[in-house]
Amino acid sequence: MTKKKRLRMDMVTPEKPYLQDREVDFVALPAERGEMGVLPGHAPSAVQLRPGVLRYREGSAEETFAVMGGFAEVYKDKVSVFAEAAELAREVDEERARQEYAGAKAALSARAPDLDMEAAQASLRKAAVRLKVAELRRKCHPGQK
Amino acid sequence: MASLRDIRKHISSVRNIRQITYAMKMVAAARIKRAQGSILASRPFASRMETMLKDLYGELGEEDFRTSPAYPLFEQRKDHGPIGLCVVTADKGLCGSFNNNILKASLAWLARHRGRKVRLALVGRKSRDFFHRLRGLDLDIEMELTGIFPKASYAHAELLAGKMLDSYAACSVCGYTVVYNEFKSMMSQRVVEAQLLPLSRHILLDPSCGPLCHNFAFEPGKAEFLGALLPRYVKAQVYRILLESQAAELAARMSAMESASNNASDLISDLTLKLNKMRQAMITTELNEIVGGAEALGG
Repeated sequence: MTKKKRLRMDMVTPEKPYLQDREVDFVALPAERGEMGVLPGHAPSAVQLRPGVLRYREGSAEETFAVMGGFAEVYKDKVSVFAEAAELAREVDEERARQEYAGAKAALSARAPDLDMEAAQASLRKAAVRLKVAELRRKCHPGQK
Repeated sequence: MASLRDIRKHISSVRNIRQITYAMKMVAAARIKRAQGSILASRPFASRMETMLKDLYGELGEEDFRTSPAYPLFEQRKDHGPIGLCVVTADKGLCGSFNNNILKASLAWLARHRGRKVRLALVGRKSRDFFHRLRGLDLDIEMELTGIFPKASYAHAELLAGKMLDSYAACSVCGYTVVYNEFKSMMSQRVVEAQLLPLSRHILLDPSCGPLCHNFAFEPGKAEFLGALLPRYVKAQVYRILLESQAAELAARMSAMESASNNASDLISDLTLKLNKMRQAMITTELNEIVGGAEALGG
């Protein structure tokens, strides 16, 4: 019996490498134009990522990350993710994310004259991603805090 | 002539100073491990990014490249208009000639570009104070970033690089040079003047990798992709520079404090010798006096 093909996955951020040559079965990337699933045998491609949720499955275990924009490259069953920042779903602090979200919302609605619109929207998106990841985690693992 | 008491006082004050410099040395030594660790941790990201850039350029072709939004980042602009200088120093002193070398190098750079308008991006309290005191030059301080060491993070690099990219994109600046200390080894640092913007073409052209035929599918288009990738490349560069400077500062402080501790030890042993000699001399004269007195009485 031939061994089942698997993907090799790398994930690096400027501050530290997260995963190196991890064998996984399936990766879902938050691509710019919607989520993109990658299975072994995927065509070579390079995608830009938006802030979103990245999932990968390893056997029966699934792991979720919040990534804050970046790039991914798929080539010869190898997935390389360069994220500007990443956070493991387990490590996301839901309360803090909620506060950040509220803060960013408030900054946007206050419309101060010197407000950098793009920066404020970016921080809002990031907070939204963190919040979403935290909610997902709660749904999937209700037992965990 | 100093009395015994003065010398004792002097010794104890030198000893106190040695304690402080030794403590600073140990703190720097502990921090430098972490600083080196973060340099190492940032390397995979930077190197992967470079490979990807090269792959992408190989795919893109010259014609597409010229029309891509990334092209202005490479464009050599005409020699007029303001130029940018980014000076990276430490926040604190007591690290040998670390800050002075940088400031001297940036002054030399300013002298070479006399007569042009210069925009400054300053990192570290020392450079900020220095350029605030400097008058009579046509300087425009665009950004100050202080208090980031020894915990420089990618967010700081993003902030700094974002600012530089913005003023470059607004066509107000025709290039950015960075002056910083490179971490060569624990014992030596080197002042480096590097051109950050415009980017040089050789980052794209690597003779070692031939034409690539991966047939990548790009999402979004190749040109936009390159346009999104390059600012991040610049940010990664700035991040590396900040980390290098941070490690170099700690290394400089460590060796400066080590030599200060050694000097203090030397001084203490010299002073102790002097003290003992003086005490011995006093005892000898006293003995002489006693013996002389006894002889005078008995004689």
